[in-house]
Amino acid sequence: MSTSDDNSEQVDGRNALVAEHVLGLLSASEHERIGRLIENDPALRSERDFWVSRFAALNAEYEETPVPPYLYAKIEARAFGDVVRAGRRTSWWDSLALWRSVAAGALAVAVAAVGFNLLTPRFDADQVAVQLVAALQAQEGSGVEFLAVYDQGQGEVRITSLKGAAVPEKDFELWYINGDQPAVSMGVIPVDQRLQIPLDEATRAQIEPGTVLAVTLEQAGGSPTGVAQGPIVAVGSAIPI
Amino acid sequence: MRPEAATSMSIQTTPSQDISDLIARCALRDRAAFRVLYERTSAKLFGVTLRILKDRSEAEEAIQEVYVKVWQRADRYVAGNTSPISWLVAVARNHALDILRARRPVSEDIDVALEIPDGGPSPERAVQDSQDRGRIDHCLGTLEPDRADAVRGAYLDGYSYEELASRYAVPINTMRTWLRRSLIKLKDCLSA
Repeated sequence: MSTSDDNSEQVDGRNALVAEHVLGLLSASEHERIGRLIENDPALRSERDFWVSRFAALNAEYEETPVPPYLYAKIEARAFGDVVRAGRRTSWWDSLALWRSVAAGALAVAVAAVGFNLLTPRFDADQVAVQLVAALQAQEGSGVEFLAVYDQGQGEVRITSLKGAAVPEKDFELWYINGDQPAVSMGVIPVDQRLQIPLDEATRAQIEPGTVLAVTLEQAGGSPTGVAQGPIVAVGSAIPI
Repeated sequence: MRPEAATSMSIQTTPSQDISDLIARCALRDRAAFRVLYERTSAKLFGVTLRILKDRSEAEEAIQEVYVKVWQRADRYVAGNTSPISWLVAVARNHALDILRARRPVSEDIDVALEIPDGGPSPERAVQDSQDRGRIDHCLGTLEPDRADAVRGAYLDGYSYEELASRYAVPINTMRTWLRRSLIKLKDCLSA
């Protein structure tokens, strides 16, 4: 099968694989295989760059053609939408799926929450009111867990820590979030005592089944900006009891 | 006639530098820079996807994917290896070729045994982008006209060996041999 020319190429120790790769002449499997070889070898990368830059002189033959104007919005949606999903560092508030996944866990402690609720001194048996509970479970090994009960009749959230210890120079801060809305601070919370947080009218209307409660570790005194800055240490969503 | 003509004053001063800066700013997640980069380069890149895919709606779909890639991979652009516009054209061209390649029937790799020599080719020193049209034209001119056209067709239109063989009415193995020898000659000429 080899011609004498083929043999002379072999003796020469050269072939055109990198150029064929750049031209896109190889089959899919070969293209991928040679592509990997090139990526892992500085000399081959250099030869690839050689071909790319030399052939680039032919790029003038590609005729400029205006893109239909409506395409840009679609490109932005795809490019920037992907970034939000892929970029872990954008904001942990984006991680609604994570939060919703703990709703089932909240259910598991609902019974315990009822017990907790009955023990609270200000429980008013005459009042038939919406009550929600959220078990804020530890995230990423924080070892911090809270239980929050929202009593619409009292217009307050009662929160108690189940696990965890105070962190020097830091404070835990409680937040609520609905859907895609930004998180709203409900203030700094202690880890060693039960706390009652009175809510104003506007906030009361915001707390409903599915509302997510989360605790972050912030600088002492809480986030100065009104936007959570520290890591999330506990999270749970409110469910009716 | 070309839409960019009216807005190209700043481009003409230092076009390469401008595009390079815009790509760098995209790597820093600057959305405004992305839009400017798109405005300045999309007509060229659309020309690439259109010529290779030869189908307007496919080219429109491809150009969207190309710019998503540009946004995601802006940090991989290394100034100095290739000019920024060449890099962008390469992203568009490779994407269009990927689409064609995925569509082609799996053919037997005739030269599976053909490996890159152990030592690898000698590294090219001071690889610089050569936008110099004269050089590649001169070197293509040293090849037989049919073979030079085949190289151009492979680069500009993304023709496969099969398509080239049928265009020039030669067996596919002959086309491979032509092309490979041509590329080796071309490299000698371009490196000289």
